[in-house]
Formats: sequence, structure tokens, C-alpha cells
Amino acid sequence: MKTKAMLIDITKCIGCRACEQICKEIHGFPQEHEPTLSATALTVVQERGDKFVRRMCMQCQDPACASACPVGALTKTAQGAVRYAGGKCIGCRYCMIACPFDVPKYEWSKLAPYVTKCDMCAERVLAGKPTACAEVCPVGATIFGDRDDLLAEAHKRIAENPAYVRKIYGEMEVGGTSVFFLSDVPFEELGFVTAPMTQPLPTLSAAALGEVPTVVLVGGSLLAGLYWFTQRRQQVAAAEAAEKEDKNVLRFRDKERS
Amino acid sequence: MTRLRLPKITLWRVLVGVIFAAGAWATYLRFVKGFEVATNMSNGQPWGIWVAVATLCGVGLSAGGFAIAGAVYLLGMERYRPVLRAAVIIAFLGYLSVVAGYAWELGLPWNFWHPLVMWNRSSVLFEVVWCIILYTMVLALEFSPALVERIPWAPVREWYLRWHHRILIALVLIGVLLSSLHQSFLGGLFIIFKGKMYPLWYSNYQTTLFYMSAIPAGMAMIIMALYLSVRSLNVRIDLRILDDFSRIITPILVIFALFRFADLYKQHALGYLFLPVEETAYFWLEMALFIAAPLVLFNLPRLRQQPIGLYWASAVLIAGFMVHRINVSITSLERATHAGYVPKWPEMAVTIMLVAAAVLAFRGAVLHLRIFPQTMQVAPPPLLLPRMTGQVFPARPSAAVN
Repeated sequence: MKTKAMLIDITKCIGCRACEQICKEIHGFPQEHEPTLSATALTVVQERGDKFVRRMCMQCQDPACASACPVGALTKTAQGAVRYAGGKCIGCRYCMIACPFDVPKYEWSKLAPYVTKCDMCAERVLAGKPTACAEVCPVGATIFGDRDDLLAEAHKRIAENPAYVRKIYGEMEVGGTSVFFLSDVPFEELGFVTAPMTQPLPTLSAAALGEVPTVVLVGGSLLAGLYWFTQRRQQVAAAEAAEKEDKNVLRFRDKERS
Repeated sequence: MTRLRLPKITLWRVLVGVIFAAGAWATYLRFVKGFEVATNMSNGQPWGIWVAVATLCGVGLSAGGFAIAGAVYLLGMERYRPVLRAAVIIAFLGYLSVVAGYAWELGLPWNFWHPLVMWNRSSVLFEVVWCIILYTMVLALEFSPALVERIPWAPVREWYLRWHHRILIALVLIGVLLSSLHQSFLGGLFIIFKGKMYPLWYSNYQTTLFYMSAIPAGMAMIIMALYLSVRSLNVRIDLRILDDFSRIITPILVIFALFRFADLYKQHALGYLFLPVEETAYFWLEMALFIAAPLVLFNLPRLRQQPIGLYWASAVLIAGFMVHRINVSITSLERATHAGYVPKWPEMAVTIMLVAAAVLAFRGAVLHLRIFPQTMQVAPPPLLLPRMTGQVFPARPSAAVN
């Protein structure tokens, strides 16, 4: 299967929240609108001035959450979605802070809490269907398709219409995502996280982790060397002391004899 | 006539009772009511003081174990041998309380064993978990002779101690390596939070900073524990050793401070040093308690001469160290998340209970095991005895203690 993605065109969104509702419906969550992502809201439509901005998991190409998770409960799948295997999760919540978009949420009120986040309708997509939110969108503000096609489509829309901001949010952010946004208002004014650099975040920790073998080898040899050195010094000192003592003993004996 | 003797009620016993009662109630809330009732952690601040204090401080304050074991065994600093076992058991209990703390901290604590079989080698936390588990085992082995020598059956005892002696150097070496790795990789956990952390605390060299800050904190912890042992547990050691430890603290703190500011310069964060925002106050509180005050206190000759002076200087340093770790893991994220996190009382109660349990275990070990040398007197230098015995070589002094 080709890598799938979603394209969200903020200029088209009318704020009907059909995407929110269908998402809650298929996950069996209560229907009330929530202002931000939560354990029972995997996507929300936020009002920013006269614009409506959808929030959801960006399905990063190289996800920080997946690299942070100590047990590999989060994985980037070939179909494009970042999926969460609750059966592996230990509940350390490192993924929640590692995510540059603050997406994973936690079931704080439960006694066996799990992490929740959008998985781009992974099961539906595997069955050949589009994501529920894209299917239900009445104005085509959210569309679903192959990642390459959607990127081409986004570039085409920007080229054809000068009203768009000359940027596809998600094309470069943290090394690229599988959810793209188009807007006619600068993204920072719409509450988008603009800090993420174009470099995938996992490369930062990979650089640190790459030092482990060096630390073990260099540190290990250094410590072993130091041990050898101090042992040797002690041996030499002991031998010298013994020699001195021997001499003393001999001198002592000589004195005795004389 | 036997008379039932009730334990005497003292202030300390009441305090211990209160700590454990509060801890038990907090534990009930955590496991029966859940995180939402027991903690103030939220989607904005998913790591509270159970990570910031129980783990980040707990591990850091246990750094004295590997430092002193390394100094004695690998660097041959025999003068520290009298406190070696104390340092090792302080570290061991510190790590045990960190590991135990995860029963409360993890959302699904019954899955605690998953990292052992489900590997994700790109995860810094995976690395840390493995190092901590392995190092706790190393510490248990390093400490084991104190228990084994109590076995009344001599052949077993001697067999074990002989083997232990053979592998000891390797154990210590592995322990120093494991410690160096996870002490620094605790800081490495924060490298992936780039863009979220306030510039005064984000660093590409967080690993180095965590490693360098752990050593003075671990030393200060040992100074406090030794002083209290002498004061209240009837331990007799030469307290001048505390002064020795304090001499190590000053240079490391100076290097840490220089490195910290050079790093701020390199991350272009110097402009944030005096901004009129809340973070600035937390930053300078950290600098004052962790760097400035200890550097002054540990170098006042009048204060150094008295063990209690070193004790209080260490207490200040440890407070500063805790501010440092809390700043990195909580304060730094506040601006990005607006979580407004302040720990709820059950979070405090559990943390205090873990510390109290470690302190009580240390007390029990000092009272019932041979943690400190039994006598202050080192065996006198061997006399020359040839006249009396006709020996050519006088017997060498065997290791006077241990």
C-alpha cells in the first residue's frame, strides 16, 4: 500500500464539526464538543478569528513519540499512520512530552489509563476506505489519499491561488508529516506550533545515544588503565617498602652481631 | 513478672508514623481512585514530582556510590575505604526507592517488565531503564558481603566472599560505566523536547550537565548521611573525611557553572537571563542554591572546621540540586504547556514516604550490619620482630579494615 495522508484546507473549512462528531461516534466517546484534544477527543475544530482549524495527530514521518517510547508501543506504519499498541504500553507518558505538537493524551481518570491519539483510521484504511473525517466532510476541506498525490495537489492549489500562504504546513516540519495544512492566514496566527525545525526530533536523541559505545569503550579502557596504574603503583610502593624493611632488618642483624 | 513494654513515644517516631500513614492514604488514592484524584498531573504536564524528585533527584543523589567505589577500588584512594560500604548502601537504597517509586508513577505498573523484552533502542528512556536495572543489581552485589558475612555457616560464607572478591573489580568498573551512562542519559531524556523547553534549560549537552551535577549532589548526600550516622547512630569514623569530600565538590561545581553558562551562550540563551518573567526567578534560585551558596559555604574556613557546617552546606547544595532538576523537568515546560502544575499532597506524601523508607532502611543497616569499621583505630604498624621470632620478613599488615 502506498503511504496515505490527509490534506486539510483551512480556507474551505466551514466549522460544521462533522469530523469531530463522526470521530467521537466511531470511538464511542460522548458527543459534547471539547475545546482541546483530550482522551475523548482525538480531533477538534478550533475557532481562530474567522477561521476554523482542525487539530489532530500529524502522523510524522519520523515521529518523536515512537522514538521516545521505551517499549516501542508507538510505530510509524507503512500506510502512513502512527499507531499505538496499548498492550505494550507501560504508562510512562514520555511520548506525551516528546510530541512537538502535544498530541498524545492520557486517560487520567481511569485506573488502567492508556494513551490516546488519532491513528488516521488505520483499520478503515487497511480495509480500503478513507478516514471517517475525510469521508464525512461536506465541503472537502479534509481530503484523504496517497501522500505524494496530496502533496502535488497542495502545491497545485498554492500555485493557482495567490491567496494561499506560500507554505504547506507539514511538508517540512520535523522532517515532514502525513497531515498537511493549507491556509490563507499565516500559520503562527492560527495557533500552529511554529517552533519545530525541519530536522526530525529523533535525530537529536539518536546523536546522544550514538555516544554510548564510545563512552563504554573509552571509559572502560580508561578505568581499566587507571586501575592497572594504581595497582602497579601500590605494588611498586610495597616492593620498595619491603626492600627497605629488608635492609633495615639486615642492618639490625648486623648491629646485633657486632 | 513480665511487663509489657510499649515503645516509647518520641517526636521522631510520631513523625515516622504520620509519614507512613499519609503515604498509605495517598497510595490508596493513587490505586483506588486513580491519577486524577491523587495527582495534579495533566495532559499539559504529564510528568510531576514523581519523575522530577523521586527519579531525577533520587538517582542523582545516589551518585556517591559509584564515585566512592570507583575512587577506592579503581583509583586506589584507600583513605575513603571506611565509608565505602556506607556510600554503596546509600546508593543501593536510593536506587531501590527510585525503582519502587515507579509502582506509583507508571500508569500501568504491572507492565513494568515490558522494557526487558520489548526493545526500542532508539529510546533514551529504554537506555536509562536498562542501566538503572543493571546498576541496581551491581549495587546489590557490591553490597552483598555485608549480608553474607552474617551467614553462620562458614564454608558458604567463605566460598561466596572468595568469589565476590574475584569479581569485585569488574563489578565496580561496570558500575561506574553504567552510572556514567544513565546519570547522563537522564538528562538525555530532555534532548528530544527541543522547542518546548524554556531556553534557559534546554541544552544539547543536557547529558553532560546531568552527569556533572550528580557528582556534587551525591557527595553532599554522603556527607549528610555520614554526619547523621555519627550524631545519632553511634558510628565512629574520622569526620575529617567529610572535609575531603567537600574538597571534591568545589571544583566540580565551578566546572559545572562555567559549562552551564558557556552552553547558554552557545544556545543563544544569554538574553533570557534577566527577562522580567517567572522563569528568571527560578533560574537564579537554582544558581544561588546550587552554585553560589555552596561555593561560598564550602570555602569558609570557619565553617569547614566543623562537621555541622559541612552538613548544612551540603543541605543547601542538595536543595539547589533539587531546584535544578525540578526546573529542568517542570518549570522549563510551563511556558509551552500552561499546565500550572503544582504537586497535590498525595504526590508529596508518596515521595516523602519513599525517602523515609530509605532512611529507615539505612538506619537499620547501620545498626544491624557491619557498614562502618568497628573501630577508629587502624592496626598499628608492624613491629620488627626478628629478634623474637627469627623471621627475616616481618608479616605485612593485612588490610586493616574490611
